[in-house]
Amino acid sequence: MPSYSLTNEKLLQVVAQNDEIYSKRGSMIAYKGSFNFARAHLIGGSIQQAAMRAVTREGLQLMSATGSGEIYYAHLGKFITIISLNGETMYVESDSVIAFDKRLRADTMFLGNQGIQGLIRGATAGQGLFTTTLSGRGELAIISDGNAIALDVTSDRTLFVDPNAYIGHKGQLTSTTVFDVSWKNLIGQGSGESFQLKFTGTGTVYIQASER
Amino acid sequence: MTYTYESLPAYDNLNRFSFAIDVHDSMFIRKGKMIAYYGNLRFEALGSGVFDMLVQHAFNAPLYVNDFVIVTGQGKLVLGDNYNDINSYDLDNGALTVKSNHVLGFDKNLECKESMLKGYLTLLGTGRFLASSNGPVLFLEPPCRVDEQALLGWADVPSPYYHHDYSYIKSVASAVGSMMGLTSTGEERQVDFAGTGNVLVQSTELGLLGQSALSDILARMTGLHQNELQQLQAAVAARLGMTR
Repeated sequence: MPSYSLTNEKLLQVVAQNDEIYSKRGSMIAYKGSFNFARAHLIGGSIQQAAMRAVTREGLQLMSATGSGEIYYAHLGKFITIISLNGETMYVESDSVIAFDKRLRADTMFLGNQGIQGLIRGATAGQGLFTTTLSGRGELAIISDGNAIALDVTSDRTLFVDPNAYIGHKGQLTSTTVFDVSWKNLIGQGSGESFQLKFTGTGTVYIQASER
Repeated sequence: MTYTYESLPAYDNLNRFSFAIDVHDSMFIRKGKMIAYYGNLRFEALGSGVFDMLVQHAFNAPLYVNDFVIVTGQGKLVLGDNYNDINSYDLDNGALTVKSNHVLGFDKNLECKESMLKGYLTLLGTGRFLASSNGPVLFLEPPCRVDEQALLGWADVPSPYYHHDYSYIKSVASAVGSMMGLTSTGEERQVDFAGTGNVLVQSTELGLLGQSALSDILARMTGLHQNELQQLQAAVAARLGMTR
């Protein structure tokens, strides 16, 4: 079972023993041991899933590293956060994923499956109409501008997020877009926070201190 | 680590780039810098009626009235400013002058006024305020000279003045040389501080990140590969063709 740790806030170390690690293409910066690197198309899934990724451009630009040893990953000096999944599903933009392994199942999801609110979220958060889901038990690592901030949502604590700062979320969460539009927006006196994503349910939302 | 409503600090940095505030009264924040909040908060533009009384007292900078909003209600607020560092400062019956676009938020007890110097805001009184900077902040005590681009602000010191290196003045005399830019070192003009107090300097001569989409793109171009640059070129060409 591969183990994930941060050497520093911008450098991820994965220790593998006969494992297959998937990572953002071009993000491997060093390794010890013996690994075979290859472009990953199927990432453990079916051809249909791969085709879905290609068509929707949620094409995780991935490579796989198979073998034993330790690998270091980094990407353009961005900050890295390790997220553990314990049977939950993580919803995240493919661009934000730097590494995971075959313990997690990758899929592409049409945001329209969450109804019109999903589409609006995709549009306002600049994510398009599709998003990547990772589910199962295991770790994944995401990249962000500045440290990613994890915020818990519970049944009695609703969270509001700036769509531009949103990276992803895990757990049983429902997101709705809140419009705070009044006549003031029309005369250019808006509060600058007219769109908000409202998360209800139980889970964790990841945001970055940077508006994309 | 994962934050919950309860574990978010009442008034502290979550990391270099984000800041959590327990809001139970009203305060001023820069427009669009909320990245998340719990609870029941409202963001109101200045001068929108209800808050006029508050604005009259605390906000005395009509030039910047559209840059700030008042947050009211009960809840926990997280602020972020495009991957810029955020620092909090306590003012105790003092005066602090900061570059206006670096002011991220301040207590309503503080008075915010336009400085005599264009592009700077002065905060007076007792209270807390937040400022963003590109890179960590260095505190200097006068006498010192600071690059104007790297200058963030100053507290409790007399108004600064410009200092020109003698070689620069000489080059102005030889007009041809200065016009050709031949004698310029880029460091001929500094801001000079005297007296007692504190001078705040950020760790780069570049302005805040994310001030415009263009500056972000240009700053990130260094990280692009050849084929990505070609993609960018194609995207720009397509965009230009589209808008024509």
